[in-house]
Amino acid sequence: MNAAAAVIDAPGALLRSRLTGFAGFLRANGYGVGGADSVRVLETGVKTGILDQQVLRWSLKALLCGRGDEWRRFDALFDAYFLPPNKKVFVESVATQPRESAGGLRDSGESDDGAGAAAGSADDGSAARHGASREELLAHTDFSELHHPDQVRDIEALMRLFARRLKRLHLRREARSHRGRRLDLQGTIRNSVACGGTPFRLAFRQRRRVRPRLVLLLDVSRSMSPYSFFYLRLARALSGELADVHCFIFHTRITGVGEALRDPDPWRSQERLHLLAAGWGGGTRIGECLRDFNRDHASRLVHSRTGVVVVSDGYDTGEPKVLAEALAGLRRRARRIVWLNPLLGQPGFSPVSRGMQAALPHLDLLAPGGDLESIERVIPKIIEVLR
Amino acid sequence: MNSPEQRMNEVVALQRELESAGYVAEPALAAALLLMLDLGRPLLVEGDAGVGKTEIAKALATVRGAKLIRLQCYEGLDVHAAMYEWNYQRQLLAIKLLEHDERPAALKEQDIFSERYLLKRPLLEAISCAEPPVLLIDEVDRADEAFEAYLLELLSEFQITIPELGTLSAVTRPLVVITSNGTRELSDALRRRCLYQYIDYPDFDKELAIVEIKAPHAAGQFARQVVEFVQSVRRMELQKKPGIAETLDWTAALLRMGISVIDDDGAERILETLSALVKTRGDREGFTREVVARIAAAC
Repeated sequence: MNAAAAVIDAPGALLRSRLTGFAGFLRANGYGVGGADSVRVLETGVKTGILDQQVLRWSLKALLCGRGDEWRRFDALFDAYFLPPNKKVFVESVATQPRESAGGLRDSGESDDGAGAAAGSADDGSAARHGASREELLAHTDFSELHHPDQVRDIEALMRLFARRLKRLHLRREARSHRGRRLDLQGTIRNSVACGGTPFRLAFRQRRRVRPRLVLLLDVSRSMSPYSFFYLRLARALSGELADVHCFIFHTRITGVGEALRDPDPWRSQERLHLLAAGWGGGTRIGECLRDFNRDHASRLVHSRTGVVVVSDGYDTGEPKVLAEALAGLRRRARRIVWLNPLLGQPGFSPVSRGMQAALPHLDLLAPGGDLESIERVIPKIIEVLR
Repeated sequence: MNSPEQRMNEVVALQRELESAGYVAEPALAAALLLMLDLGRPLLVEGDAGVGKTEIAKALATVRGAKLIRLQCYEGLDVHAAMYEWNYQRQLLAIKLLEHDERPAALKEQDIFSERYLLKRPLLEAISCAEPPVLLIDEVDRADEAFEAYLLELLSEFQITIPELGTLSAVTRPLVVITSNGTRELSDALRRRCLYQYIDYPDFDKELAIVEIKAPHAAGQFARQVVEFVQSVRRMELQKKPGIAETLDWTAALLRMGISVIDDDGAERILETLSALVKTRGDREGFTREVVARIAAAC
């Protein structure tokens, strides 16, 4: 910190506090900026000179941004923070938008903490933001049963089993290993160096283990409401077991809930889910939600080792054509698409809804999944498909 | 403390140098590159495929007169391919030759595990150059998380530990440029350690400047039309938008076909060259004669 102390003396006190405050301002706006960064901001300010606004902007942008969405929001935030108030009018509305929506949530009696998290949710800031406009607060999706202790235990046990099996999947690509199916010549020669060139110790190559990434897309519309608590519990248990699980909920729009599910405090997790889904109107637009997912998240999340699991009853109020196109698009990126339909297990039900009919040609597996038992039965099939 | 004008001048100067190296950089990028030189931090560059992320490193190497060392990441990339490996065959040969040597065993061992038998892979090479090179770590998101952790160690300490040889510290600090296409979310630790730059598709003026530099045969009005056409194509709903490389390819294809003006009459012939611009079947089906004629007429 010596360098920092030397640096701190350079600009005037007012400028200094102004500069160091900027990192905190960005943090409040959901940037992944740490405490040490304020010192770096100062250093940069000294290096580049603080009087030229453009150079300072470009330099701080490179220093403090970490990902694409932060990059795009930076200019407005920079203007809001550094420009004199009379020039601020236009940008301020942009910069303070997330805060306003957070305020709106707070009015409805939710906790401060949760509201901030919803507005700045790293996974899906924008969706969370427009999920919080005032008029839509009337309808609530209720996740209050998310933590019933007795069921939770069963679910966690089952998900542990599922996760363990997933971890055992092998790739075709090989890596060096102590045991294995094929001899690794390079490794064997390397081992033999210690014995003067006699290959006593053999080296092998074995197929690398790899965990496929899972993307869960959960329908939380009203027709699914008897099941959505259950699936969110599954998703929470699964996120606890596997690192590479990404969960989204959809209804009339789609939003990422990974952050909320991973919250170690179950009550806060519940609160955050509540906030994310608050204010979604009626009707399920599966096709449009999947299309939005393709546009906003798929390029980042879905790769050739990704299994996508859609949980929905297939009652789509949108155009079936949109759904078919969205699924076809997803199918091109993902390794497998599994569709769990809770109604499928019921006697006399057949997937004749228009949405389901449109979806069928693009699925690798359509399976029932109304309760824990049916999930248990379907797990081996899912693993078989993901392999 | 530098005066602001001085820094601005530096930014403009670097921009010019980059341009003479064949890279049209926005001032923000030039400022970030200067900061990278000041702070000695790596630069993480993100953006869609084909916006010229890799070219940054090449241009930087040209401007600095430095060697460019490139590490292409892929799934399953490991230490042996990225940092170092012993040349076992030569070591064995040496052992056989040393069998009749009278020197004590410890000395022989030292000889066998010396740098002569070390195969330097890009990362080790980068930290053992006498002049600071530009190290390009391309598409880091394709490598596994485990490799990212190795990389973090290297980027913070600039040293590599080889069990048989000890720790090798960097002779000079390489200028590190890391690119990512976003097929996998990078760790926050890596992001925090780097300066960041997001590169978007170029706007009309920037792309025109690029075409004029890279394809000098395309005459003024024609180049404008080409760029206008590509910009319109990018605004369409496509699975894969054309990058700058595609623009240049397409320009070359048009010139090769003897097309020197883009209008709706020439739509047929433009269609024949579109394979240089549109690269998936679904996108290609969207380009009928009418669509091409409409876009061309607007250029």
